[in-house]
Amino acid sequence: MAESNKPEDFVKHEYEAGFVTDIESDTFEPGLNEDVIKRLSQIKGEPEWMLEWRLEAYRQFQEMTEPNWQKVNFEPVDLQSISYYSAPKKDSDKPQSLDEVDPELLRTYEKLGIPLHEQKALAGVAGAGTPAESEAESTGGGGAYSNVAVDAVFDSVSVVTTFKEKLAEAGVIFCSISEALQEHPELVKQYLGSVVPRGDNYFASLNSAVFSDGSFVYVPKGVKCPMELSTYFRINAENTGQFERTLIIADEGASVSYLEGCTAPQRDENQLHAAVVELVALDDAEIKYSTVQNWYPGDENGNGGIFNFVTKRGMARGKNSKISWTQVETGSAVTWKYPSCVLKGDNSVGEFYSVALTNNYQQADTGTKMIHLGKNTRSTIIAKGISAGHSDQSYRGLVKFQPTAEGARNFTQCDSLLIGDKCGAHTFPYIENKNSSATVEHEATTSKVSDEQMLFCRQRGIDPEQAVSMIVNGFCKEVFKELPMEFAVEAGKLLEVSLEGSVG
Amino acid sequence: MTLAHKTPLTPLDDAFTPEGGKQLPAPLKSLRDIRSKAITGMALPNRRTENWKYSSRYLKLDPELAPQTQGTGDADYRSVEGVYRLVIRNGVVDLDSSNLPSASGVDIRRFVDLDDVAAQSVAKKLDTTLDHGTTQLAALNTARLEDGVLIRLSADTSVDKPVYIQYVTDAGASGSNYPRVMVEAGQGSKMTLVEEYISNGDQPVLVDSVSELLLDDSANITYIRLCMDPANVRHIGATGVKVGANAKLDSHCIGFGGDLRRHDLQVRLEGQGGYARLNGIALTQDRQHYDNHTAIDHVVPNCDSDENYRCLAADRSHAIFNGRIHIHPDAQQSHADMNNKNLLLSTNAEIDTKPELEIYADDVTCAHGATVGQLDEGSLFYLTSRGIDRDTAATMLSMAFVHELVGQVPLEDIREAVNTRLTDFIEASFRRAAE
Repeated sequence: MAESNKPEDFVKHEYEAGFVTDIESDTFEPGLNEDVIKRLSQIKGEPEWMLEWRLEAYRQFQEMTEPNWQKVNFEPVDLQSISYYSAPKKDSDKPQSLDEVDPELLRTYEKLGIPLHEQKALAGVAGAGTPAESEAESTGGGGAYSNVAVDAVFDSVSVVTTFKEKLAEAGVIFCSISEALQEHPELVKQYLGSVVPRGDNYFASLNSAVFSDGSFVYVPKGVKCPMELSTYFRINAENTGQFERTLIIADEGASVSYLEGCTAPQRDENQLHAAVVELVALDDAEIKYSTVQNWYPGDENGNGGIFNFVTKRGMARGKNSKISWTQVETGSAVTWKYPSCVLKGDNSVGEFYSVALTNNYQQADTGTKMIHLGKNTRSTIIAKGISAGHSDQSYRGLVKFQPTAEGARNFTQCDSLLIGDKCGAHTFPYIENKNSSATVEHEATTSKVSDEQMLFCRQRGIDPEQAVSMIVNGFCKEVFKELPMEFAVEAGKLLEVSLEGSVG
Repeated sequence: MTLAHKTPLTPLDDAFTPEGGKQLPAPLKSLRDIRSKAITGMALPNRRTENWKYSSRYLKLDPELAPQTQGTGDADYRSVEGVYRLVIRNGVVDLDSSNLPSASGVDIRRFVDLDDVAAQSVAKKLDTTLDHGTTQLAALNTARLEDGVLIRLSADTSVDKPVYIQYVTDAGASGSNYPRVMVEAGQGSKMTLVEEYISNGDQPVLVDSVSELLLDDSANITYIRLCMDPANVRHIGATGVKVGANAKLDSHCIGFGGDLRRHDLQVRLEGQGGYARLNGIALTQDRQHYDNHTAIDHVVPNCDSDENYRCLAADRSHAIFNGRIHIHPDAQQSHADMNNKNLLLSTNAEIDTKPELEIYADDVTCAHGATVGQLDEGSLFYLTSRGIDRDTAATMLSMAFVHELVGQVPLEDIREAVNTRLTDFIEASFRRAAE
């Protein structure tokens, strides 16, 4: 440990999920064209309309140019040099249970601390009502992760979805989107693209054309989803892009809490991740979507790392519906995402809680959009940004009140914490108000880990590294308390890992 | 970015026949030629131009605006007591109608009267305070430069009365004009500069004005900008300020909406201990527009800035505020505070605001706050229940909303005049809404 007492000296990123899993996989040759899309669609055995939908998206995509308004700098991605499909090779089509899953893959998840295997409850994959599963029920969520259903997506395919049967009992559909296309095509057809249209933006169009897999959730009328749902994404193969698509529908009076996590190996080149997430909440429904994003951020000199260009949008379509986004962003070389809420139903509520941490040469341009259409719609934005090293971070948000948004309200708070004098923290909030009965409040502050705070902790015998971590955790508290319990702990740890170690 | 147009504006050569036959000194002429070339063929800012996102739809430079404003001899010189008056009429400096300070240490001169050496020095400094990437139409001003005023204060000069610049557009005049002012405030000098735009015509007029203020160390400039003329006058104004060490800028910009109203205020704090206060009020009614864009650059450590802008939008009008604070790398110990509050007085009005922070140093305190709301029903009820009619009550509350800022305008006469004009403006809009 260095003698130095400066907070920035206690900030170092050690990426713990950077290993590569050596398993055989089927991977497309790099390149993007209509044939690739056709082949992809064919492999997935998709219905004809789906292929048409993809091709139309591709046509629209070809008309577009890559956006450049974000405050990030990176080498443009050569879309022809990446492969649009990579799947772990298997003898059978898809594993029906964990027993059929390549043990190498399972070890991957184990390394990641994803509780696919260690939790006895997960034996339930093979069939409902196993003793193990009953045990999980009896613990009543006491142990970490014991009551979470997981859909694991490895490169381009969903490998396994746990707890499916138990969820089915409650009427909840939780499966990969490829499966949903086979089994519930009517639902997919009805909602896919209804929130993020095919031509929405450059990367969303690309995703619409080539999305490989992702999660699908449908919670029927009046059902409160009995457990947390979770998807785990991992990019493994080289030269691939990951394009997943998530669609979550909460029917009238339904509620669901969903969490996604993600990691990728340490590589010198940049890999593209362009996902689309669509949420639809009907009358009185509630969707809570949490993200713990830990893609590989590149090394300390800014080499490699994931480009994370994601379009996430929720439509609070029904009356009294609610959509809540919580995100903890610690990974990716370049992040560019704005989880948004379109508050269409009267009295609907939108929330956005975010912690974004950038270190070394990471760049993040992230924020949210709250579009108020319905009467008495309310939204809250709490965004906390922490920049360290040479990183650059921007909060970019839009709060918009249309003339129809009588009595609508928004509160926004975005705070930045700078650690070191080589980083940047920026705020670009757009506020557009077209309704005189709507009220919007915006606040932002910028501060640093002060010498006083450090001294206070040091005096009490807390070592500097822990002190920084404590101060940062305190700074993020408002957001962490919105995460599901188990993940709040994980998020807290993740921040510690990201800030751990000393440079000087 | 730029400035071409479906119907191109009249070429520069045709548009100007300098008044009194005086030609610009060569160094300024060559600067004009450079700008002129630079904007040739450029497109006007549009919806996709970030800094014109909300205002480009008002930016209609009709061909009738192209010719230079011609005088009709029918000007409205509002008399103002206790000031040095400088008249810029239809974009042309009118020294005959002016009343300039005679004290030594204050030098006020037309650009066309500068000798080559002085002109060379001015040409070097012109356009250095504004970022032309974000003030595209200030570049147009330089491209059409024909004359201008240089106000130079020697070190430690303190001007005893405010210098009051009246930008007058004759009644019945039309077309466009491009006034230009440059202030060089020497070390430790002190002055109050007021700019007022006056017109009583009803023809479409475009005023594209640029004022640049260079504050040397310890200079102290109070800047008051009153843009309250009738709606037919379209304004695109830019004020660029460089603040030296321990120098102080105290700015108050007050504006009424119009067919097109845009003011860019860019302040660079370039010496340690510099301070800038930026206050602003914008009122819009009818289908008017007002767009305030401010930028404060903390270039060096230990500078402070305070910004406070308030907008009120009535009827179907549209008010915009965009404030940017940029803390450069190593500008440690900067303190910046930005506050923007807005009142929507009608359901059909629109207010867009974007308070930005761009920070590259860690030991700084920066905060910004923005609100958009409406008059408080409870307060209105309180007043009406005491026998005050609703319009009067609403006017009182609206005035209370801007009271703090009006109260900070340093000159009593101006403060009172502003207060009266704001009250009339607000009252009128409530009365109309009630009808």
